[in-house]
Amino acid sequence: MKKKVMDLLCCPVCKGPLVLHVDSEEKGEILSGSLSCSHCKVRYAITEGIPDLLPHESA
Amino acid sequence: MKDEDVKRAVKRHYTQAATKGTCCCGGAKDEDISKALGYVEKDISAFPEANLGLGCGNPIALGRIREGDVVLDLGSGAGLDCFLAARKVGTTGHVIGVDMTEAMIEKARKNAATYGFKHVEFRLGDIGQLPVDNASVDVIISNCVINLAPDKKAVFADAYRVLKHKGRMFISDIVLLKELTSEQRNDVDLITGCVSGAMLRDEYLNLIKDAGFAVTILAENTAISKQQYQSIPLESLTVEATKP
Repeated sequence: MKKKVMDLLCCPVCKGPLVLHVDSEEKGEILSGSLSCSHCKVRYAITEGIPDLLPHESA
Repeated sequence: MKDEDVKRAVKRHYTQAATKGTCCCGGAKDEDISKALGYVEKDISAFPEANLGLGCGNPIALGRIREGDVVLDLGSGAGLDCFLAARKVGTTGHVIGVDMTEAMIEKARKNAATYGFKHVEFRLGDIGQLPVDNASVDVIISNCVINLAPDKKAVFADAYRVLKHKGRMFISDIVLLKELTSEQRNDVDLITGCVSGAMLRDEYLNLIKDAGFAVTILAENTAISKQQYQSIPLESLTVEATKP
């Protein structure tokens, strides 16, 4: 995913903002890392460039 | 069947569709299905890997998508409609595909790389709980997906939330013209095949209106019942829903 789409993203559960943590990046594309919601205390993984923003079942 | 069991069955079926190329449509060729639904030859031949023949209409052809728009595809599958939308929005616009099936998202992302689209993004998500910010999207598209969602009211409410003022939603979906039997309602193959999760036509239209949208019917295709659905009384409906 690209950094510039961050402002389109939100937590699927509380709709609050997400904080991006980058582990690896290539040409402006985030390949791995996470998006966390401070309100729900949940981290959504970014793996192979794909953010997994499915609501966590326990959430 | 419980909502979670429906979602699991749908994921299983569409993981297979992504990896093995099976479809819900009785063995007809993907290209032939897509042509019957209003896709033109040059569109489907431009993105063969992205066309799995899983749609039931062509919301892109009927939808007004402008250069610079942010477009969101609910249930983006292998990405065909996202790529067609991407050509319309140009590089000043952006297209986001959301799908809950990992194998589809992986396939779509590979396809985007193959076809060289830098302004198309895919993410795993639930269309009833979108990971998309309020009032951030110009156009929502969705092709034959919402019938699979157990909570359609949540889908339309969330679509309304993410659309900007005057935002447009273009949906093609299967709707029923007569109530199904209880056996049909609980048939897993009919659920994943876009039949048993479908609502009655008028109830479906009312649900979109109840979410706050102004609704215009763009197309209704009853021939699809015979062509792909063993004459079960249903049709493919394409609507435009505007956020006032």
